[in-house]
Amino acid sequence: MNQHTVKAYGDELNQITAEVARMGGLAEAQVSDAIDSVARRDVALARAVVDRDLKLDALQRDIERKAIRLIALRQPVASDLRRTLGAMKMASDLERTGDLAKNIAKRALILAEAEPMQPLTRSIERMGRLVSTRLRDVLDAYTASELDRAVAVWQTDDEVDEHYNAMFRELLTYMMGDPRTIGACTHLLFMAKNLERIGDHATNIAETVHYEITGDDMVGERPRALPGAEDETSTPNLTTNSH
Amino acid sequence: MPYESSPSPVAPISTSRFWTVGISIAIALVVMVGLAFIHPEIANWLIGGAVVVAASAWILNVQSPSVATLPETSGAPIERSADPMTAELLDRVFEALDDPVLIISGGEPDDIAGRRVVMANKAARDLLRIQSQGALLVQVIREPGVLEAVDEALFGGVSRTTDYATGGQRDRRWRAWTRPLGGGEGKGQGSLALVILRDETDARRTEMMRVDFLANASHELRTPLASLSGFIETLKGHARDDVAARDRFLDIMSAQADRMGRLVADLLSLSRIELNEHIPPSGRVDLDRAASDVVDAVSVLTQEKQINVVVDQGEARASISGDRDEILQVVQNLLDNAVKYSAKGGTVEISVRSDLSFDEAWASRMPGATRLPLVTPDRAVGVLYAAVTVRDHGPGMAREHLPRLTERFYRVEGQKSGERQGTGLGLAIVKHIINRHQGGLVVESAPGLGAAFTAWFPMVVERRDVRTTA
Repeated sequence: MNQHTVKAYGDELNQITAEVARMGGLAEAQVSDAIDSVARRDVALARAVVDRDLKLDALQRDIERKAIRLIALRQPVASDLRRTLGAMKMASDLERTGDLAKNIAKRALILAEAEPMQPLTRSIERMGRLVSTRLRDVLDAYTASELDRAVAVWQTDDEVDEHYNAMFRELLTYMMGDPRTIGACTHLLFMAKNLERIGDHATNIAETVHYEITGDDMVGERPRALPGAEDETSTPNLTTNSH
Repeated sequence: MPYESSPSPVAPISTSRFWTVGISIAIALVVMVGLAFIHPEIANWLIGGAVVVAASAWILNVQSPSVATLPETSGAPIERSADPMTAELLDRVFEALDDPVLIISGGEPDDIAGRRVVMANKAARDLLRIQSQGALLVQVIREPGVLEAVDEALFGGVSRTTDYATGGQRDRRWRAWTRPLGGGEGKGQGSLALVILRDETDARRTEMMRVDFLANASHELRTPLASLSGFIETLKGHARDDVAARDRFLDIMSAQADRMGRLVADLLSLSRIELNEHIPPSGRVDLDRAASDVVDAVSVLTQEKQINVVVDQGEARASISGDRDEILQVVQNLLDNAVKYSAKGGTVEISVRSDLSFDEAWASRMPGATRLPLVTPDRAVGVLYAAVTVRDHGPGMAREHLPRLTERFYRVEGQKSGERQGTGLGLAIVKHIINRHQGGLVVESAPGLGAAFTAWFPMVVERRDVRTTA
């Protein structure tokens, strides 16, 4: 880490980085607890996830305030500026991640009242594991400033999409087979969508990490899901380009 | 790695002493000059006195810091420094401990960047990939529960144990012990906490496995069992004297019993592999030899179906670290599938490549097909991989089936795996073996184009030794 003449400046920068890492840990825990609450039909855990979301919001505001203060008082340039801006961007991505996890937990509360649907919650769990691996990898890349890891996460974005598409079809089959499951299946569908969005936020964070380290945007072709599935109207991928 | 002895307790004290010396000399001089004006007759005496006062003050104050601060700076380690052997031995013991151990320093309670890793033993450095001493705690452990427990140990003096899981494909369960170590009195500056991590994955896993095994086994065994008991009933009843029907029924029953046997064998091997999933394999296998061994082993089956197996091996020996039986099982299962889904008289290609980088290993081998990694290992620096690809020209699979292939009992709809029915566990077993070997698995397929499965494993590092001994 480069040295600053004013020691307090370096301390403040470190503090922002540390806060982002802590927030990342919290978001990670929220996502994996939300998935666990679905898989184990654990009502108490789901409630805890919903309650803890406030903490993430507070952390995000705190990081933003600190970053703005640092920009105003120290006028950071070059890598310091990128670090500060990156922290703000990541904080908002992590906050959204937390919101989505909260939403999954809320739906878990509703699902817990219905009959258990083992095979479907298994699929959600599997997709959730994949998404939380990506989140963990990208946060590891951030804390260790490892470019390779961030790029690897960025490049494997299509894995989550594949899982989402498979899940979508599976749920459709279930709903057509037994209309009584439509209510529960819709909740599961939204959960899958939320997980897919969390995966997108992990990709965003990977881009931020790349920018922070190199100062450049990620270039090159990100491996997209092959065309073919895209042109079907039932393919739910179309809504993912909202940012 | 011993504590970095901080110079901070010494520095402010010596500057303050400097001031006391200066001020006392100044006061003495002012008083004496004043007296000399009032009583000029004793001026000579006073000058002599001033010199004596100044000199004594100087001597007293300059010597005292070294005497006063010595016990302060070396309070705790004083008995260790008396015996450097013991200190060094303790350091070595700390390094050699199998469980990751960390010592965290406190800083201010509300400053998260104040928690730093003061010491970490080798296990901790490897696990948490700590690069430098004094790394921020949140950069190595992000788990909120553990961070809270560390804070309680630092500022509340409370010991705790926290369970947590690192998410991801290779889900691991950890238990963290946090203990206060005290240290600095008063303000949190020097307070320390001890964190010990222990891997509890295996204990939990065994428990989970039993539950899963029972659920899967009972579900999958029910179908063949129902058909068996149905036929037995028929044979006892009106088919008792019908010789032709009896023979046909007995054939079906024996096929069902075979299926149940295979299923039980697969379930058992799956649960055995899962139990070992977190134990790194110790042996050494030549992937190219393993491939040709398996091709020989299935030759009966391939001749029966008139399938042509084309083996393509590179020049170099592909030595990987792994369990021979398990690697054979991976190749066997992949080849079994390829043969199963090939039409009569078709071709199956099996190729082995070595000395591949991470990116080469999981690169595409079948242009135009959908490609999906089913198992992706953690990226390691400087590791080369050997890969085995099994390619068939069967019906292929649509993209939506690919993510679920390694799921237990998952079967692609509308496909028949021939007379020799599969158990639906083959690829699940492959996945677990590859996970254990820190390798990867990629599937590429498109309807009508067939499928290619590539399994890749890290190679043994000292390749030259192997070549001479092999």
